[in-house]
Amino acid sequence: MNLKKPALILSAIACCGALLAACGSDDSSSDPVAVNDVWTRVTAPTATMGAVYMNLESADGDRLVSVSVPADVAGRAEIHETVGGSESEGDMDPGTTMEGGIAVEPAEDDDAGGDGMEGMDGATGEDSSMPDAMMGMRELEDGLELPGGEEVSLEPGGYHIMLLELKQPIAEGDTIPVTLEFENAGEVKVEAEARSTES
Amino acid sequence: MRGSRLVVCLVASVSALVIAGCSSGGGTEDLNGMTRQPRTEVGNVSLPNENPKSRNSEGALKGSGDGLMLVYFGFTNCPDVCPTTLADLRLALEDLDPEQRGRLEVGMVTVDPERDTGEVLNGYLSFFFPEDQFSSLRTTDEAELARVEKVFGASHRIGKKQKDGSYDVDHSALLYAVDSDGVVEVEWPFGTTAADMRSDIEQLLDQRAGRSGS
Repeated sequence: MNLKKPALILSAIACCGALLAACGSDDSSSDPVAVNDVWTRVTAPTATMGAVYMNLESADGDRLVSVSVPADVAGRAEIHETVGGSESEGDMDPGTTMEGGIAVEPAEDDDAGGDGMEGMDGATGEDSSMPDAMMGMRELEDGLELPGGEEVSLEPGGYHIMLLELKQPIAEGDTIPVTLEFENAGEVKVEAEARSTES
Repeated sequence: MRGSRLVVCLVASVSALVIAGCSSGGGTEDLNGMTRQPRTEVGNVSLPNENPKSRNSEGALKGSGDGLMLVYFGFTNCPDVCPTTLADLRLALEDLDPEQRGRLEVGMVTVDPERDTGEVLNGYLSFFFPEDQFSSLRTTDEAELARVEKVFGASHRIGKKQKDGSYDVDHSALLYAVDSDGVVEVEWPFGTTAADMRSDIEQLLDQRAGRSGS
């Protein structure tokens, strides 16, 4: 029996396999972005706008440049940030009292940090000369930066994908296909699960 | 993250309640929310109430009897801030015992009366709360809205209209608990958890139990 031929064939197969494997590992030009916990809030029947949230992390750094959803879900999708409010992170020290515009934090409070309230005035209300800080949204026209190795959270009160011109209400149990476009990682398709609460 | 914060807040709330029980009467330090010194008094401000099923036919922005009105300034096209706050409030109310829940009403004042008609407001709020438990407060009179906002320290700013007619509205995002004397007992900034709100509501209702109000 001639062993050389099967050995040659086996080697050829092995080489092809190695080549294919090499090709296979090359199909993304850079590290992918990890996308987790994608969810969208269930909307009221009259709402024309929705929001999609998720966690993103890129090992080497990237930028989310655009987002799209099917036309039968919403007219357009934009990357937004909610800004403003009297407390930047939404965490506030329990039992804070406002006296003459300066927050007096209770002595037993363990939570560190948190600035005092801006613009609070201790008057009865008729004389509230400085209103509570307003919250609003700003479109991130240049996209959302993902610093390398850092998890960036899109969550209520912070970054979010805004869905405009909703075609129909988003109901509990719905899943919405969302296409994310990253500068380096390219296109990533995910599904947002509709929930009425964050967790 | 939320779970552990919830636990911390619950523990803090329980501790606070225990402390309150030992002292002469609950003070502001027992509440999770913020209080102003002196307290904001809203007096008899009112706005047209477009919810025919509400008990609050006068459109008052205060509680009745031994109850509280939970007042929020927002708009229905708000995709992030308003639905988050109202969803948290809904959770807080659902966790209350029915007797306490029955003493509460939610009053939303729209800062976008142009798009938020009475019908839109009612549809939006009924998504979060029982149809006889909310007031849809709306006026197209800008001066009247500004007057009511000023009393609470709230504010809003209508954004620039886009080509497709859409626009955004910046607005202060606090939730106010007002008793039947028109006193703002506590206010919660955006991000306050449902558990914190519920704990404060329970304390305030306990303090007010049995009052007939003004």
